[in-house]
Amino acid sequence: MREIPRIEIPRHLEITPTSEELLPNGLRLYTLQADEFEVVRLTLVFHAGPVTQSAPFVAGATANLLAEGSEHLSGREIAERLDFYGSYFEVNLDRDYVYISFCSLSKYIRPTLEMAREILLHPAFPEQEVVTYRTKRRQQLAIERQKVDVQARERFVEALFGEEHPYGVCYPEADYDGLNRRQLLDHYQRLYTATNAIAVCSGKIDAETREAILDLCRAFPTGTPFESPFPPTQSRHEWLIERPKAVQSAIRIGRLLFPRNHPDFVGMQVVATLLGGYFGARLMHNLREEHGYTYGVMATMVNFEREGYFAIATQVGAEVTRKALREIFREIERMRTEIVTEEELTLAKNILTGEMMRILDGPFGIADVTIENVLCGDSNEAVNRNLQEILSITPERILDLAQRYLNPEELSTIIVGRTDE
Amino acid sequence: MIPYKIRRLKNGLRVAVNRDRQSKLAAVNLLYEVGARNEEPSRTGFAHLFEHLMFRGTRAVPDFDTPVQMACGENNAFTNNDYTDFYITLPKDNIETALWLESDRMTGLEITPEVLETEKRVVIEEFRQRYLNQPYGDQMMLLRELCFREHPYRWSTIGMKPSHIEEATLREVEEFYRRHYCPSNAILSLSGDLDEEQMFDLAEKWFSEIEDDKSLCQLPLPQEPEQQEPRRRVVERDVPATSLMIAFPMGDRLSEGFYRGDLASDLLAGGESARLYDALVRRRRLLASTNAYILGSVDRGLFILTGQLLPSTSEAEAEEALLEEARKLCDPAAITPYELEKVKNKFEANTLFGELNVMNKAMNLGFYEMLGDLGLINREVEIYRSITAEEVARFCRETFRPERQNTLIYRAKR
Repeated sequence: MREIPRIEIPRHLEITPTSEELLPNGLRLYTLQADEFEVVRLTLVFHAGPVTQSAPFVAGATANLLAEGSEHLSGREIAERLDFYGSYFEVNLDRDYVYISFCSLSKYIRPTLEMAREILLHPAFPEQEVVTYRTKRRQQLAIERQKVDVQARERFVEALFGEEHPYGVCYPEADYDGLNRRQLLDHYQRLYTATNAIAVCSGKIDAETREAILDLCRAFPTGTPFESPFPPTQSRHEWLIERPKAVQSAIRIGRLLFPRNHPDFVGMQVVATLLGGYFGARLMHNLREEHGYTYGVMATMVNFEREGYFAIATQVGAEVTRKALREIFREIERMRTEIVTEEELTLAKNILTGEMMRILDGPFGIADVTIENVLCGDSNEAVNRNLQEILSITPERILDLAQRYLNPEELSTIIVGRTDE
Repeated sequence: MIPYKIRRLKNGLRVAVNRDRQSKLAAVNLLYEVGARNEEPSRTGFAHLFEHLMFRGTRAVPDFDTPVQMACGENNAFTNNDYTDFYITLPKDNIETALWLESDRMTGLEITPEVLETEKRVVIEEFRQRYLNQPYGDQMMLLRELCFREHPYRWSTIGMKPSHIEEATLREVEEFYRRHYCPSNAILSLSGDLDEEQMFDLAEKWFSEIEDDKSLCQLPLPQEPEQQEPRRRVVERDVPATSLMIAFPMGDRLSEGFYRGDLASDLLAGGESARLYDALVRRRRLLASTNAYILGSVDRGLFILTGQLLPSTSEAEAEEALLEEARKLCDPAAITPYELEKVKNKFEANTLFGELNVMNKAMNLGFYEMLGDLGLINREVEIYRSITAEEVARFCRETFRPERQNTLIYRAKR
């Protein structure tokens, strides 16, 4: 009989050092050298997400139309040149930020950066493209909103933050019709500036490439950082959106807590992991493996710039909606009353360690982690600090956190679907 | 370029290894040559159901996930029409844990009636979540039904209907396990910063004692007769916009047509500068979105054109516009050298981006070995590079023929 293999658990993660540079215009540039890969990625992050917009959908439209025509080139010509070198150009948004990435083989980074310049510094937002965009997006959003899961997600943030709050608000599709070029230009000029952005490059970066990246970054006007007070949040407790024909109900349960720099954030990440962070986690075991109510269920901590929340999300057979809810609250109660065993806690710790290793694997992963840390006002030292905190957390602290933050009376429950049995 | 070595154990298991010197992680991939195409027409969705059962414990290890997770690992699996793939990534020092667990479940799976009942419910919920409770969720199922009459590609991996999954029995589960989950029907592939010989030794240590069941035989699959007449189907659904799919039969994964068809689909839809998006979304504003792609299946596949209509566009107008763009490629003079180079560059870049992590590399090793030509993994860039405009045009002339056209109109209810 062969022995069961021994395992080793890393206690420390090695991270390629990042160099940081403050350019004369106020832009901060972070560089991660990884010469063993023949690729380069440059990501610019602007504080220009939906929370900064002056009218519905302006932030998304501005970001997505940057490449649809510049002062010198049409949208087609820009796409043509990026495609020719097999380069990627990617736009992502969350509520706070816009992330724009250019990725290419190292040998084609120069022409890729030339297009980055057109896209980021000289966008024209042609009227015709705005018209195409708003028709297209209106239709796509209508399709998205047919999904119970999307509806639950939208109602959930409304329930946590309030329907008027920048983190909670969801606009009707028809608001796309009001979008115009002027709004996009204003948004762009106000927010796509050096002091409102960071840049992170990673991969094989030789001296010439570095100079070209610096050249691009130095060209942004200084501008002023975005600042605006938020209204107070307003949470509601329960919300049922009836969908009589649904074969599944989407469920969201959670509450407003705190952003990532709060001393209990990492601890609550461990609590969320125990509840629903992996195959076999308590909710997954109960709802999927024991009862077959769902294909999947997860629990997680979500971080925004100024707030953070805890969420449980799942889609269950419509006929077992009530039963599934009972089981979810039973698991939350168990978290609050029974002390977790060392064995289960060790499992969660090892899972989180492995997750961090996977995120940090490869040149682009480290860049993503850097972005996340810098946006939280931190550095990559946070990685090992958080790891140490995870590894040293005790069963008593888990119980204390669950009791403090998962009181059922303070949780919001959103159901889109049916609750008859 | 993925450097590799390959060997076959005495029991028939193929083992392919790649040494990656960068990553601190290792990837272990185990591919079984069984997919939805190997199912009985009365038991569709079975291969995928079985994939789920592979996580439900063996005589020796009652819970598969926990030891993987204890070793800081992550594991998952997928099933498609051609094969079933199980994969694990974990710190390279823990690679043996993955080999132990995979070898254990190749031979010791133990499924109780209760576990089977629960897992059937989970898969039916997956069916509902991804195909039934989702706008356009059944579109691809309908297209398969339309294009294939005989070949088992006529159903999707999830199956034709939930009742096929409901009716599955424990006896069928055991039979399927015995028939398909044996060493000679599997490919183990590894990538990580370990010496190649060491990886072979570990594979030998954990897998060589598993006996191969010689009674195994892959039954021949029914072949699809050549399509003679155009086919058309209209369905009405509660969705906001009408969507159109047009499909033409094409060659298998190892045919010349595969590469030519792949390039043709990239000329039409490989990026925003490609023909369909530029003509039909950007310039003529007929469609909200559009795509062209090939199925990429092992057996003879499909070349597919899609378009989601804007409210002012008629179905006939959209269909004609998609076909018109596709037919333009039948003339080699219409394909510029610049354009052809663009799609080839894109392929080369994507290949390189795909070789950045151990997981992709291990998975690719398994896939190409399954095709029966592992060397192809490093030759494809060259193959694409050598294709001429004339060859792409010939493929298009042979493929886009009216009598081979399958049209699915997924109409939005007013």
